Amino acid sequence: MKTHILTLTLSFIFCLTARAELKWEQTAVELHPAHGDKQAIGHFKYQNVGKTPVHFKSVHASCGCTAAQSQKDQVGPGEKGEITATFNIGERTGTQIKTVTVETDEAANQKTVLTLKAIIPQELEISPTFVFWKQGEKADPKSITVHAGKDFSVKHIKVSSSSPDFQTKVEETGEGQFKVNVQPNETGRLIASTLTIQAENSPKTFYATARITTAPTAPVAPVAPGQKAPAAPTAPARPPAPTSQTH
Amino acid sequence: MRFSLCNLLWRIVDLIIAAIFIYAGVLKALDPVQLARDIDHYKILPWTVGVALAFYLPWLEIFCGLALIFRLFYRGALSILTVLVVVFLVATIAAKARGLDITCGCFGHASQNWSFPTHLALDLGILAALAALCYCSVARARASASPAPM
Amino acid sequence: MKFSLARQALILAAFSLLPGVGQAIYFRDKISWRSPIPPSEMVSIDQAREWGDSAIWIDARPDDEFARDHVPGAISLNEDRWNELLPEFLAAWSPGKKVVVYCSAQSCDLAREVAERLRKEAQLPDVFVLEGGWEAWQKKNK
Repeated sequence: MKTHILTLTLSFIFCLTARAELKWEQTAVELHPAHGDKQAIGHFKYQNVGKTPVHFKSVHASCGCTAAQSQKDQVGPGEKGEITATFNIGERTGTQIKTVTVETDEAANQKTVLTLKAIIPQELEISPTFVFWKQGEKADPKSITVHAGKDFSVKHIKVSSSSPDFQTKVEETGEGQFKVNVQPNETGRLIASTLTIQAENSPKTFYATARITTAPTAPVAPVAPGQKAPAAPTAPARPPAPTSQTH
Repeated sequence: MRFSLCNLLWRIVDLIIAAIFIYAGVLKALDPVQLARDIDHYKILPWTVGVALAFYLPWLEIFCGLALIFRLFYRGALSILTVLVVVFLVATIAAKARGLDITCGCFGHASQNWSFPTHLALDLGILAALAALCYCSVARARASASPAPM
Repeated sequence: MKFSLARQALILAAFSLLPGVGQAIYFRDKISWRSPIPPSEMVSIDQAREWGDSAIWIDARPDDEFARDHVPGAISLNEDRWNELLPEFLAAWSPGKKVVVYCSAQSCDLAREVAERLRKEAQLPDVFVLEGGWEAWQKKNK
């Protein structure tokens, strides 16, 4: 019975919203920004098919990385317009879904959620992007897998270490697949390196980090009733900047 | 003769429809967490409702499919499956008409890359089969209810 | 015993509830009914404070919001400047540390996305999202 009521309610909701005053050409947009694009822009067109003006109360995005703007505050009967959502790609990867919530003064449908889906092409997929050794641990090599992203053809990669304290070696494990072996010269000091990984003939650089870390900290005992909680966390000290070296 | 043909067709279509719904239900039941996230991606239903559907709907499909196979609560299963398919169809068509890029997710995350026409064709095909099953079920009920000729 | 159509449908619908409820109980740690972030990946302010120095706080908000105010000692790590900011965070991290990521409020996705990247790409264990975000922190510290 619950299913019947729920499913009937769902179908009614869709029918009702289809008769709202503001008619959207589409409320979900999928974008495929090109490699290297800084922004992905989605256009959501609408038309006021009702008889009274529609006023936009608010247009806000789900995150600060997306800016949403309406061309006008009020849409008269029969008028068309669009809301532009600009998604700043930054250094994001993979499929990003951002929403813009539009609130109007319509009686039937006050809130509309516009969905912007951006599929960011990734030339190289690196896993993991961080390898570490505990101080004093045996300096065995650790590997990072690099493989070409979907729709990319990568024949060779270049890896360079920013520090001479870490050695890198690249092995090809398959078509578009590579294994980068990273090994520190020693694990006595707290040293670090930024590994720059680049597909041959491509300007785009990817990064991984190799580091010698301090030994695990002892677990903190939970605060007993009546005792004060520990002080808020303090900023950690920055290690000295690593020197550069090309592999 | 007509009744035997209907009987045979009924059984074959029964098993095919049951298999489709059981397969779809199992695929979704294997990863309800991902199904809840897929439902949430379209921001149509509140998160809580999406989670409830993600846990409930796959099992409804599986049990209705099993009911068709074992002919237990047969008409009840047929009616539930018919309502489900009609709702999915109405929702998909209405959403598409509004520009919403929605697929019913019948086969969970596995069907996310199917095109709208593919989904529509499958749903219409299943609805047609369910309609045929309903017809055969009614015909069978009438045949067993009518008295034997003297 | 023959049941009517409605009763049959009701019985089937009711039967389907049982495994659904069972699964909901089984998956209770992997999914929260209140928010898309599972309970095993969320931490309350009080719990995070109890961790003391073994917790590293990460602010996933954009640079300007971080500059305006942030949790004392928090490190800025957002996806706008991920490659630039990540090394500073990794310099502070060591095995055994717990990472607490926050953004503006419970409804904000940034903390969840940063936490997911740290788990998947850097493969760090013990990465949590702060329940209620910066908004909740401010309320607690008024």
